[in-house]
Amino acid sequence: MKTIIVLFALISQSAFAKLNVITTLPDLRAITEEVGGSNVSAESIAKGTQDPHYVEAKPSFMVRANRADLMISIGLDLEVGWLPSVIQGARNPKIVKGKPGFLEVGPMVDPLEVPKGTITRAEGDVHPFGNPHITLDPTRMGKVAVIIGDRLAELDSAHAADYKKNALALQKRLADKTKLWQHRIDATKITKIVTYHKTLTYFFDRFHLENPGFLEPKPGIPPTSGHIIEIIDLIKKQKISLLMIENYFDASITKRIKQEVPTIRAETVPVAVDGAPNIHRIDDLYEHLVQAIEGKE
Amino acid sequence: MKHSLLFILLFGLPALGQNRFNPDISANFLGLYERGTGVSDDRTQSPHNGFALQEAELQMLSDVDPYLRASVLLSISQQKNSADYGIDPEEVFLETTSLPYVTIRGGKFKMALGKHNQLHTHAFPFIDAPLINQLILGDEGLNESGVSANVLLPVDWYSEVTAQAFSLTSEDLYGSGNSGNVGGLLHLKNLFDLTDDLTMEIGLSGTMGKNSLAQTSSVLGADLTFKWRPAIGGKYHALIWQTEYLNADRPGQIDATTHLSQAIVSGAASWLQYQFAERWWVQARQEYVGLTKSVGVPSENKTSFLLGFFPSEFSGFRVQYDFENLQGRGKMDQTVALQYNISIGAHPAHAY
Repeated sequence: MKTIIVLFALISQSAFAKLNVITTLPDLRAITEEVGGSNVSAESIAKGTQDPHYVEAKPSFMVRANRADLMISIGLDLEVGWLPSVIQGARNPKIVKGKPGFLEVGPMVDPLEVPKGTITRAEGDVHPFGNPHITLDPTRMGKVAVIIGDRLAELDSAHAADYKKNALALQKRLADKTKLWQHRIDATKITKIVTYHKTLTYFFDRFHLENPGFLEPKPGIPPTSGHIIEIIDLIKKQKISLLMIENYFDASITKRIKQEVPTIRAETVPVAVDGAPNIHRIDDLYEHLVQAIEGKE
Repeated sequence: MKHSLLFILLFGLPALGQNRFNPDISANFLGLYERGTGVSDDRTQSPHNGFALQEAELQMLSDVDPYLRASVLLSISQQKNSADYGIDPEEVFLETTSLPYVTIRGGKFKMALGKHNQLHTHAFPFIDAPLINQLILGDEGLNESGVSANVLLPVDWYSEVTAQAFSLTSEDLYGSGNSGNVGGLLHLKNLFDLTDDLTMEIGLSGTMGKNSLAQTSSVLGADLTFKWRPAIGGKYHALIWQTEYLNADRPGQIDATTHLSQAIVSGAASWLQYQFAERWWVQARQEYVGLTKSVGVPSENKTSFLLGFFPSEFSGFRVQYDFENLQGRGKMDQTVALQYNISIGAHPAHAY
């Protein structure tokens, strides 16, 4: 009898071994696919060309989440406008908060820009738990790979060693490449870059770049004429030579800046995996951003 | 006393150092200025010409424990035939969070009849509800105490069946004097992703229960919605086309003056909403009441245009122009309304 039970367990395990993972962002999907390998199927809710703050909670996401063994999100209030609806609508007890099938990685990787004291929406769409765009830092994403590997190992102990090995390999690869990317960025002599939103904060922090101005006057508030004049003034005073516009924002405002500062280079850049046709892995994303700084894109 | 309790609920607990367990608290409020040839100048009527606080909603939402979450939404609005405002429990319910494939809800809540009836006032696509909803379900919509089961069917697309049993207090549709009578409602919702950018939703719903004359009233509803928001450039452009149809049979209902039957009435509203810039929407709506009707129900048609400006996701300013023909009135009524729509606090996400 015991043999039959063991046999049945083995058969069912092999038949249903593939873990079904749903992620909020394609960056997390890319990491999960690499760490999970052939034992995991992963898909992302948001697309790489979408602003992750404003994804709509389409019911079709609820159907996918209903079948998931694991839901991986950033947290830090990035997905607060839509993920709770998806999880509630999914009616899947495995992925509710507090269960092993619910994983928020943002709070586990030392978020930047955590506001101190009281915050108010007069400052725009501020995030009370810190800047949520952690996926733009290769070092933090190396740590995220390890966190995801550990969670996959917990849910699927039969392949625990594979997950942990893959995660550490990915973490090491990103660490090695980070050194090379740093050398290439240093070689450009660029130290200050203006962006549209605070999306690239972690990338700049990692590579010792400054981000002294934003085209948004406040997070979530579109550019105004008065603010753009201030930014032009800042660009001139600080001799900034590069604008990087995250590609889900309207980049047409850069024409106005180029009229005043003809020498400035404006690059529209993807800020997520799948944000451009040739970005499939997380390394591709950082490579693309480094090339944009180098002026090769 | 009521106000003191509200104050303690909102502000008292943080003072006791319990704020980490406090529910998410938010407030929405809608202010209105309206001027219309068919709108009353009597401030005890709602709507009326001039300025008014259309409604304020206070919402508290929290997990209760690992199995349940609760929502309390108190509505502050003008009372019927009075210039005074009162507090009403618009929605107070608990629902399950950890059952597979089903959500069970109990309490007082908006019934799943069609799509528009489930919206809170601040989420209405236009300043007012469709005429047919107002006529059949009243100003508050169909909002009853009861239980609900929302079942996600195990198919490849989103298909949900909702079954509800509820009290029959709605004056406009039921108003059953016997509290032992229970009404029923069924709703089938199907949503298909036609492309990554375009969805189509089809809904069918029906409700029935005893009315104030101990006869059985019923409503059938159908809705069809297309939503388009591109994955590239979706911050700046979107299009929604929604159509809703309701058909009511209210045996025994008559016009108080003419004594003509008003038992049967049906109507439809169809509207387009186009987002043409990050913070701007332009909208149009066409409505007709009286597709089928008893002799005592005047037919009515109405056209509305709306322009909305939303400085952020927490504030909106809208202007709406309506022209409306009511059978027997002999002239076209025109109305202009201006509205602000403000949200503060930790407001939960709206349904898709």
